[in-house]
Amino acid sequence: MAWFVFPDDSLLCMCLGISFTVWFTLLLVFIIVPAILGVSFGIRRVYMRTLIKIFEWATLRMERGAKEKNHHLHKPYSNGIIAKEPSSLEQEIQELRGLGSSLGSEPEFGMADIFYFCRRGVESIVDDEVIKRFSAQELESWNLLTRSNYNFRHISLRLRVLWGLGLVTRYGFLLPLRVTLAVTGIGLLLVLTTLVGFLPSGKLRNHLSEKVHLMCYRICVRALTAIITYHNRQNKPKNGGICVANHTTPIDVIILANDGCYSMVGQVHGGLMGVVQRAMVKSSPHIWFERSEVKDRHLVAKRLSDHVADKSKQPILIFPEGTCINNTSVMMFKKGSFEIGCTVYPVAIKYDPRFGDAFWNSSKFGMVNYLLRMMSSWAIVCSVWYLPPMNREEGEDAMQFANRVKAAIAAQGGLVDLIWDGGLKRAKVKDVFKEEQQKLYSKVLVGDQEDQSEDNPVANGGLEPKEEESTQGCVVGDRGND
Amino acid sequence: MAQEGLFNVGFLTFPGRCVGEDIVSWNKIIGIMGALHSMAGGPAYLDLSEKTGFSLEQIGILHKRFKQLSHNEETLLREDFNTIPDLACNPIRTQIIEAFFDRRNFQQNAEGTVQEIGFEEFLVVMSYFRPPSQHMTEEQRENVRKEKLRFLFNMHDTDNDGTITLEEYRHVVEELLSHSGALGKETAKGIADAAMLEVASISMGHMEPDEIYEGITFDHFLKLLEEFEIESRMNIRFLNMDTTNLCK
Repeated sequence: MAWFVFPDDSLLCMCLGISFTVWFTLLLVFIIVPAILGVSFGIRRVYMRTLIKIFEWATLRMERGAKEKNHHLHKPYSNGIIAKEPSSLEQEIQELRGLGSSLGSEPEFGMADIFYFCRRGVESIVDDEVIKRFSAQELESWNLLTRSNYNFRHISLRLRVLWGLGLVTRYGFLLPLRVTLAVTGIGLLLVLTTLVGFLPSGKLRNHLSEKVHLMCYRICVRALTAIITYHNRQNKPKNGGICVANHTTPIDVIILANDGCYSMVGQVHGGLMGVVQRAMVKSSPHIWFERSEVKDRHLVAKRLSDHVADKSKQPILIFPEGTCINNTSVMMFKKGSFEIGCTVYPVAIKYDPRFGDAFWNSSKFGMVNYLLRMMSSWAIVCSVWYLPPMNREEGEDAMQFANRVKAAIAAQGGLVDLIWDGGLKRAKVKDVFKEEQQKLYSKVLVGDQEDQSEDNPVANGGLEPKEEESTQGCVVGDRGND
Repeated sequence: MAQEGLFNVGFLTFPGRCVGEDIVSWNKIIGIMGALHSMAGGPAYLDLSEKTGFSLEQIGILHKRFKQLSHNEETLLREDFNTIPDLACNPIRTQIIEAFFDRRNFQQNAEGTVQEIGFEEFLVVMSYFRPPSQHMTEEQRENVRKEKLRFLFNMHDTDNDGTITLEEYRHVVEELLSHSGALGKETAKGIADAAMLEVASISMGHMEPDEIYEGITFDHFLKLLEEFEIESRMNIRFLNMDTTNLCK
C-alpha cells in the first residue's frame, strides 16, 4: 500500500497520475471499446462539421482581407491553365491554307503548316493531362494547414490566432493520440493473429480471424481519424472474386479493410512490415510473393487463380493502376488482374481534400514523413462506393474489360478517366504516337479520308512493353517500387 | 497610347493621363500590382513581367508549371520535356524542344545551344507565344510578328548560317510526314523538293538555269509568310486571364 501514501511535494505527481488515468479511460471508453464492438458514437462526424464551419469562416476572412488590400486571391485552375483549340489537324491546316485552296490533286507542303504543330507542342508544354496528376490537388479554400496555403499574405491577426490554435491542437493533442492508437492497433493485430493462428483450421478460426482483423483495422481507422462513408454496401465483394479500386495512398487498404475482410497481395518485406505480414498470414490466407517471384507473371497469375477458385477464401484486393495517383483521375489499369476470369468487384474511393491531402507523392515524401503528415492533418474524409460486380463479356479481351471497369469507377467517383499509364510517372512514352500524327498529316496532304479503323496505339497506355514491371498492378506492400 | 480619365493603381486613384510605359514605372514605385503569390517571387517577377510581357499571375502559373516539369529543380533539362506524353505525339517535338535550349531565342544576341535552362530562359522562350495585348501600336505589332517569325526561322535553321538550305527544309518536311503508310520516302522527298522550288520561285523570281538557290534567308522567309496571320495562330490563350486593368 506504499504507493497510496503521497508525500506533500508530489502534488505534481498526483495530478499527472490522475490525468493519465483519465486520459486512458477516455481513450478506452470512447475509442477502443467502440472499435472492438464495431459501433460509433458519431464524435468524428460532429468534429468534421465543426471543422467545415471553421474553414468557411477562415476563407471568408481571407477574401475580405484580400479585397481590402485590393489584391487577388490565388485561385487554383482546376480546369487547366490554357484554352486549347478543339479543332482537329485537318481543320486547322485547311484554315492555314485559306479556304478554297485545293488539296486534292498534288500533295503540297505549306510552310505555314508548321504553325499548327508548333502551337500544339507549346500548349502541351504549358499544360497537359498527365503530369499534373502526379502532384497534389489544389484547394479552393484554406483549411488552416500551412502546407496548403497559397494566400498567406492575406492572413489577419484573428486568423493567425486560429491557425496557431489549430497547430497546437493538431501536434499537441491529436498527434500523440493518434500515434498511441496506431501502436495499439498494430500491437493487437500482431498478438491476436498469432494467437488465432494456433487454433486448428476450421470455421471457428476463420470467424475469429475475421473479427480480429476487423477490430484492428477499426482502431487504425480511428488512429487516422478517418471518416468514411460507404455507399451501396449490398455490392460488397464476395468470396471467389477480385476487388479492384483506384489508388491514391497506402491508406486505401485500411479504408477498405475496415468494412470487410480481404486477402492482400504483395511482396514480402523486411522490418516491421514483414513482421506484420507474417503475423497476418498465420490466421487468414494472404498472398505474399518473394521478390524474385513477382517478375514471373505465370506464377503470379496461377497463385491468384488458385486463391479465387477456392470459394471459402476471401476476395483478393488489387490496385490495378500500379502507382499512387492524386485522386483527380483514374489512369490505365494493368490487364493482368482482369485475365484471371473471375468476377470483378469495382470500388471507387474519393477523398475530400479539405481535411487533409491523402495523396502520397512518393518522389517528395518517404513513408514515415507521409504518415506524420497524415496524422497531423485534421482528418481523412472519404467516400467509398461499391459498384455492381462485372464479368468479362463474350468477345471482350482483358484490356477492354479493364477499360470498362475503369470507366465505371471514374464515373462513380467523379474522376477523370485517362488512357495514360500511371507508370509515366517514371518512364517515357512510346514513339508510336509520333508516327500516328505523322500518318495523319500525310493523309491530309494526300487528301484521303481518315481511316477510322486503325489500331489504337494507346493500347499500352503509352509505355514501352519492356518497361512494364508487372501486369498485376500495384500490390499491397510494393512500396519499394512506388 | 494615352487615355484621359481616372485610373487606378492599387487602391489609389489618380486623375490624369496614363500611358503604357508610365504604368510600369508607377507600379514599380508603389509596388502594388495584381497577385504576388510566392515569397521569393515579388521583385524578380516584376522584372520578368517587364521583360516578357506576361502578367504577374501568368508568371506565377508558369513558374509552378516549370517546377512541376523540372521536379522542383532549378533548371530544366531536355529529358524533362520528354516526360510530357502529349508532346511525344508531336512530329516536330525535337525541334520544339531544341528551340528552348537555343541561345538565339534568349534575346541576348548569343549563339549555340545550352544543356539546361533556368526559369528566366523558359519564360523568354514562352513569351514568343504570349497572347497579343490589345493596346499596341502598328510598329509594336510588326515587331512582335517579326520576333515570332524569327523564332520559327531559328527552328528550321539548325546550323545557324542565316539561311534555311534545302537539306534543312527537307528534314523538317520529313519529320512531319510519315515514313510508311500513305506516302513513301521518295514521295516525301519529292514534296520537299517541290516546296523548295516554289519558295525559290517566289523569292527569286525567274532564275537562270545554272543559278543555284542558296537557301531561304530571313527576308525571303518574311516575304513568304507575309499574308499569314501569325498573331492568332502562334499564341497560347490563358484561361481567366486577369489582366490588371489600370486604365479606366
